[in-house]
Amino acid sequence: MITVAVSGINAVDNPGPGIGIIRSLKESHLNVRTIGLAYDSMEPGIYLDHLVDKSYMMPYPSGDVASFMNRIQHIHSLEKLDVIISTLDAELPVYMDIESKLLQSGINMLIPTKQMFNLRNKNKLQDLSKAINILTPQYLSCSSYEDLVKATQKIGFPCMIKGPFYEAFKANSSGEAQSYFIKLADKWGFPIIAQKFVKGQEYDVVGCGDGNGNSMGLFAIKKMTTTALGKVWNAISINNERLLQTCHRLLEHLSWRGGFEMEVLIEENTDDIYLLEINPRFPAWVYMSAACGINLPERMVCFLLDMDHETHSNYKSGKIMIRHTNEILKDISDFEQISSFGELENNKRPM
Amino acid sequence: MNIERLTTLAISDTGFIFDPSTGDTFNTNDSGIKIIQWLKQGKDFNELMDLMIEQYEVTEEELEADLLDFMQTLKNFHML
Repeated sequence: MITVAVSGINAVDNPGPGIGIIRSLKESHLNVRTIGLAYDSMEPGIYLDHLVDKSYMMPYPSGDVASFMNRIQHIHSLEKLDVIISTLDAELPVYMDIESKLLQSGINMLIPTKQMFNLRNKNKLQDLSKAINILTPQYLSCSSYEDLVKATQKIGFPCMIKGPFYEAFKANSSGEAQSYFIKLADKWGFPIIAQKFVKGQEYDVVGCGDGNGNSMGLFAIKKMTTTALGKVWNAISINNERLLQTCHRLLEHLSWRGGFEMEVLIEENTDDIYLLEINPRFPAWVYMSAACGINLPERMVCFLLDMDHETHSNYKSGKIMIRHTNEILKDISDFEQISSFGELENNKRPM
Repeated sequence: MNIERLTTLAISDTGFIFDPSTGDTFNTNDSGIKIIQWLKQGKDFNELMDLMIEQYEVTEEELEADLLDFMQTLKNFHML
């Protein structure tokens, strides 16, 4: 049995990728015990006993690294972890710091280096898109109202006003831009991004790199509907060779290590590809790729444990992902276990 | 006429069209299905006119206007 710990089990309206990853692993050929790493006792994944075998509360990654490491070592002493799959941008830098120590303890991870992580930062997108021979919409970071005025004068209208983490609005005038700027800064803080508006369709590609420029498989979708925060809610699988080739160039250029999601826009009139964002981990919709035969979490685990795995990207286009909401009922004692003792066992480890 | 993209379309008997490279979907009628199938076979505009005149009760002027309009729609959606 392979034991895999996964973070991001907050399957809420802005879901973390953890539950999609765990579901992919549970439906794979592997015999996997899944450990959920939670930051809040109300993360729904803790209570999903058909997917998460045991959950542990984690200290916030913004705290000291020693506490974070100690907690993982404690969990490892109980669970004998083989792999940790980190799924949250905020915790990745901490895992980068402790990855070598974890490996010494027998815990494997496939995550980007700090250099790779920085190269895909939002403020480096111009350089990155140039290097992989695609475009990116002109953008400027704004930390004050004066910055916004200068940025919109340079970029023109309409433009997109984007929060540092989530949410984006199309502004047709300086009045609208100011209104969205205040709204986003109040909610998410600075910097706010003013970005040239490019008319087209948004597409995402999920993949996994081995750290040497090789792909473990790619899977592309068109976003059909998104949430108010711009997150995929419904999607359709597509076969677009240009997108996949762009991803291969990205993997080679960065020698990317780990899961990633490339977000792009294809301009309506010119068919030009614009790079919007590179997320340094699997996206929340990663289960869709597994359900279509490209089980990237399974391939990642196999790669880390030197097991045979597929690397092809052969899947059917025209498969639609329908995300839905659901409810489960649990006893208050489960909440007591996770909130008072920091752990909840849904399924005991087989003897 | 570039029919490369047209050849990749998945078209159901009911006229539901799926472009696997973009994820876009469209609906067309029986006439549209026939025109697309003929275009995929490499027929040019004049050949389409001849084929349509044989099968539909329509004047040449009306057909030419409708056919041009349909082909422009295909171009707008980057299918031609």
